Amino acid sequence: MPFSRKATLERRTADLAATGDEPAATSPKDGAWAGMGRAERAALIAGSLVVLAALVGPALSPYSVIIPSGAPLLAPGSAGHLFGTDALGMDLGTRLLAGMQRSLGAALAVTLVAAVLGSFIGVVAGFFGGVLDTVLMRVTDLFLAFPATIIAMALAAALGQSLGSAIVGITVVWWPLYARLVRGEVRRVATLPHVLAARVSGVRGWRLLARHVVPAVTPTIAVTASLDIGAVIMTLAALSFIGLGTPAPAPELGRMASDGMKYFLNSWWVAVLPSLAIGLLAFLFNYAGDALRAALRRTGV
Amino acid sequence: MAAFALRRLGALLVVLFFLTITVFVLGKVGDADPVRTYIGVNATPAQVAAARVELGLDDPVPVQFWHFATGLVTGDLGISLSTKRPIADDLSTALPATLELAGAAIVLTVIIGVLLSALYSRPGRVGAALRLVFFSLASAPTFLIAMVSVLVFYRWAGGLLPAAGRSSYGPYPDGTGFYVLDGLLHGSPQYAWDAVRHLVLPALAASIGAGVALARVLADGMTSAMASPWARTARSLGEREGTILRRHALRNASSPGLSLLAVQAGFMVSSLVVIEQVFSWKGLGSYLSTAIGVGDFTVIATVCLVLGTVYVVLNTVTDIVLAAVDPRIRLS
Repeated sequence: MPFSRKATLERRTADLAATGDEPAATSPKDGAWAGMGRAERAALIAGSLVVLAALVGPALSPYSVIIPSGAPLLAPGSAGHLFGTDALGMDLGTRLLAGMQRSLGAALAVTLVAAVLGSFIGVVAGFFGGVLDTVLMRVTDLFLAFPATIIAMALAAALGQSLGSAIVGITVVWWPLYARLVRGEVRRVATLPHVLAARVSGVRGWRLLARHVVPAVTPTIAVTASLDIGAVIMTLAALSFIGLGTPAPAPELGRMASDGMKYFLNSWWVAVLPSLAIGLLAFLFNYAGDALRAALRRTGV
Repeated sequence: MAAFALRRLGALLVVLFFLTITVFVLGKVGDADPVRTYIGVNATPAQVAAARVELGLDDPVPVQFWHFATGLVTGDLGISLSTKRPIADDLSTALPATLELAGAAIVLTVIIGVLLSALYSRPGRVGAALRLVFFSLASAPTFLIAMVSVLVFYRWAGGLLPAAGRSSYGPYPDGTGFYVLDGLLHGSPQYAWDAVRHLVLPALAASIGAGVALARVLADGMTSAMASPWARTARSLGEREGTILRRHALRNASSPGLSLLAVQAGFMVSSLVVIEQVFSWKGLGSYLSTAIGVGDFTVIATVCLVLGTVYVVLNTVTDIVLAAVDPRIRLS
């Protein structure tokens, strides 16, 4: 259960090989919920609550995200500051929620763009075949052979220290995962009866692609993306931690953790709480993703 | 087998070539201005022009790439823009530091994986709780594990284990850069032991997540191998469980374990960057994050290239080893 680009690819390739010929043609949601155990449902609900807290929390908090509101380095549990304050006296709880909001937004952006871009390349390669397929897949495999995090680091460093650079850097290395998977799926779907029937009726080219092939592979892409978010969150955090994120006072969890290292032997919370917030997000998404996968396998959707 | 190995080695060269191009191009398209990093923001236009010539920035880009690529082959990696030191010199101390840590982390990963795999398939509530703990460990950012291990084993245990640096004594002047090895070579078990003690926490932080993942794969592999038809056949022929496990199941279950170890080793290359920063471990990771802080792109590019090469070579070697262990891979 490692969580990285390569791990997501291997996991999903195995899933798709296991489910065999049945295309996941319907939305997996209702079937998946029925197939989940109590712990898995609890994790999904907890995850939704955390996401909700991250979305509305910073706005509801009485403190500003970037203006000091108390004495510096107050311990968690201090009056008025449930999670304590950081080295500048900013309320840590508010910043943690805002940081989670940023992490979520960034991870969603990376996953969305990588999934759309990669899937497009995969669909084109798988559907049209020939030289185009060979060229596109050679490029994809080349990118897959590159070490994802390290190239993302180099790219983000070249673009300058900001969250945007990190997002671009990770997206550039993340799309091949989708290109690889989707190409295989498209080639499989292209031999299914409904596509053959459409072909016999004279549907060709882009119309066949858009009406009959793409809808059949979309659920696979959606499931892969939902499993993938946890890995993206962890990669973003690592980049942010080594300095490839927006500098303080922006509430970025990885940066907050590495900046907090200066104080953490005496005030552990300034570094540990932001790290825990990332861990919580990653855990919830990974766990929900794992539960979704297991449920999909059980219900055969 | 030889043909497979040759094909993989050919692919390795292609990937390395494109990796070099990618890293070089990144340095060109980025908005980091190498001249400003080199001579500072207060330089006069004349100084800027002189520095551009000195750094070879006025050459056509293909010529610059030629210098970069030939430099890599001959070991002339250029100089750091911020410290003006030759990058090759810095790497000669940083690379052994990182490799020593990575080696220790991989050994620990295997130990943790094998030990925990026995716990993984435990039935009942205890098993479920253990699996949840393992899952959380695999989801935890490496720096969280690193920080908690520092707090527990250094801060709260009163300095039980050192939490920063590689040695209490400093390097041997003529050493290999691998401190444990240096201690042994110079007949100083005290020095080697001290280096080992410094290795424990960073290696542990790098290997817990990977070890837990390995444990899961090993446990799954063993469970399905022992439940397979051929295991049943062996049982019906009167083979003892232990013999089936060692002679048959282990080989079948080791292949997914090995391939996971490869994924993890690649992942470790990047998590070491984070871990070195937490433990002030003067390896490639610290070198990289320092360079990022000052926008020193020659160092960033070179370190990324070195780490990338380690990763790609590692992947190729595991592919070949896997193919040797599992003939099915050669044919697919």
